[in-house]
Amino acid sequence: MDSLSALRNINAGRDVPDGFVLSRAVGWTSVGMGIAELLVPRAVSSIAGLEPTTGASLGVRTKGFGDLALGLGILLRPRRPMPMWARVATDAIGLGLLAWAVRGDKSHRARGIASLVASVSTLALDAYATQKVTAAQETAASPVMFSVTINKPPAEVYAFFRRLENLPLFMDYLESVEQKGTRSHWIAKMPVGGTVSWDAELVTDLPGERLAWQTVAGSTFAHRGNVTFASRPGGTGTEVRVEMEVELPGVDGSATLAKLLTKPQIKGDLRRLKQVLETGEVLFSDASSHRGPHPAQPSTEGTSFARARATESRQAHRKGVVR
Amino acid sequence: MRATCWMGTQKVSVEQVPDPQILNARDAIVKVTATTICGSDLHLYNGFMPTMQKGDILGHEFMGEVVEVGKGVKNLAVGDRVVVPFCIACGACEACEMKNFSCCENTNPTGWMPEKLMGHATCGAFGYSHLTGGFAGGQAEYVRVPFADVGPLKVPSSLTDEQVLFLSDILPTGYMGAEFCEITPRKVIAVFGAGPVGQFAIASARMLGAERVIAIDRFPYRLRLAMEKAGATDVINYQEQNVQETLRDLTAGRGPDACIDCVGLEAHGNGLQYAYDKAKQVARIAQDRPMAVREAILACRGAGIVSILGVYAGYMDKFPIGPLMNRGITIKTGQCHVHRYMKPLLERIMRGDIDPSFVVSHHMNLGDAAGAYDMFMRKQDDVMKIVLRS
Repeated sequence: MDSLSALRNINAGRDVPDGFVLSRAVGWTSVGMGIAELLVPRAVSSIAGLEPTTGASLGVRTKGFGDLALGLGILLRPRRPMPMWARVATDAIGLGLLAWAVRGDKSHRARGIASLVASVSTLALDAYATQKVTAAQETAASPVMFSVTINKPPAEVYAFFRRLENLPLFMDYLESVEQKGTRSHWIAKMPVGGTVSWDAELVTDLPGERLAWQTVAGSTFAHRGNVTFASRPGGTGTEVRVEMEVELPGVDGSATLAKLLTKPQIKGDLRRLKQVLETGEVLFSDASSHRGPHPAQPSTEGTSFARARATESRQAHRKGVVR
Repeated sequence: MRATCWMGTQKVSVEQVPDPQILNARDAIVKVTATTICGSDLHLYNGFMPTMQKGDILGHEFMGEVVEVGKGVKNLAVGDRVVVPFCIACGACEACEMKNFSCCENTNPTGWMPEKLMGHATCGAFGYSHLTGGFAGGQAEYVRVPFADVGPLKVPSSLTDEQVLFLSDILPTGYMGAEFCEITPRKVIAVFGAGPVGQFAIASARMLGAERVIAIDRFPYRLRLAMEKAGATDVINYQEQNVQETLRDLTAGRGPDACIDCVGLEAHGNGLQYAYDKAKQVARIAQDRPMAVREAILACRGAGIVSILGVYAGYMDKFPIGPLMNRGITIKTGQCHVHRYMKPLLERIMRGDIDPSFVVSHHMNLGDAAGAYDMFMRKQDDVMKIVLRS
């Protein structure tokens, strides 16, 4: 492991005071509001400028239940962006409902407008805190990092990886990768159908040790990868460590979202990389030869799926020439 | 083809399903000539193993004739008679190189599931839930065998199916459990559970030189078989005798030097402890009923060995870690590394050291699998081991 990643792992556990304090404040406020809304819904609706009818009370109580749950969610996981984003989304929905209610009720206009202003500021504050928590999370934990030990010497694992044409053999979302010098053209299959492609550039190439690439300037999204190959302690075998980052430049939080989405994918990729290098190909079971869940029983779709994958592998393999 | 499918808790039925095909280059297709129901299949049958899906083909103990081989299989030919190990191993990863085949790192395509539940993935296995890869099992007319160049063992025609079938799982399992005990003639071995695995653990302990082997069960017919065929020197029926006291008595206060748990997560017992375990399992608060392993740890001599062969699924409650730690007991356990033991045990069978067919009590047709499961679960008709043929 290089010293940078080691340092990052140590720092990842430390409090990030800024985002942490803010998210706890949001959490406690949310809990407080929830309790008030649950216990004294009539008073709350009247303060908000709503006619305290039974319907309004029911609405306020429902919101109270949600606020309490969200608050607890945030307090339990104050460093996680997800509960905070849920808070912001709920704020936005609440604001919309309030605006609709205030518009229909002319008798308490002043109070209604005051509560609208309050809601807008709450939304703004919550969004600000969420932003902070997300940013803290990103510096602490991105990029995605996974590792696997492969029972082959580093030179061999590196050589396999260096022929980028080999990548679709185990990264099953890739259709193909073509290399032209230090540049490469990647085509990926979209989960919804169709493909997406990008150009990447090899930025580091230390034979037997490290490979790093990133998308060329001006790409629609940024994709960075860094793979290290190290001899396992005391013998043959390679410790492969992969760091990957995908983000939409300029869109805050996109890296975190991408991380959540790509995490299981990269784990699976490494499992398959190990299979390909150690046993020659990706192993299928009756269940795994289907996209969704499938019982452990042979099926014609499973067979054609596995065979199609095998054919793709052979083609990719031919382009990559050697293993 | 016809295959025994899990359709829900205590529901299996023989269904018409598509024939298996070669999916990977190192696969073989085997026409099953004999298969059997394992005690651990009952954990699936009774719904204690998570990740089962309706339609899963059961069965991990089977043998048969090779009818098709993939391009990557060079050591087998169509027509070969083979016994197939229940665990699937690649033969190339570090675990396999160290002969820890049931910890193979490459054969579980749904490995993310056990990773969540067990920390790391296990190997793939036939017909044993989606935690072990989602591979169709062998209680069927045909089965696809991955890594056929690594697992299946060719067996000579001079031996009957009943003599070699149990090389697929329970004979190596029982043997490994006895091997864990580091047996010398001075060591007294207690075997909890005299089902088929227990019988083979007893027989293996004797083969490895133990002078005294004590079998513990609640069914007189199983204890009788343990004495008459497997070679147990003493038996304890825990419904009539107090296990702890009797073991202390039989060993003059020392306790057995090693205990082998051949029971697992559906242990039975007497009294409050059993009622407590059972209630929690019924309420789905706990997956395991740990009576046998608790008893084994308490009974075992200081600095002794407790060898666990019985299958457990989850996170156990009321595990006697205090007695274990303070008396320096070693636990040795694992799904059997079948590949390690098949050849040497085949040689022992050929030499006549052991004839594993003594555990067979019933022969039935594959079509009667549902009835066979029910009978095996209820321990009717002095059932020991049921061999199914299509």
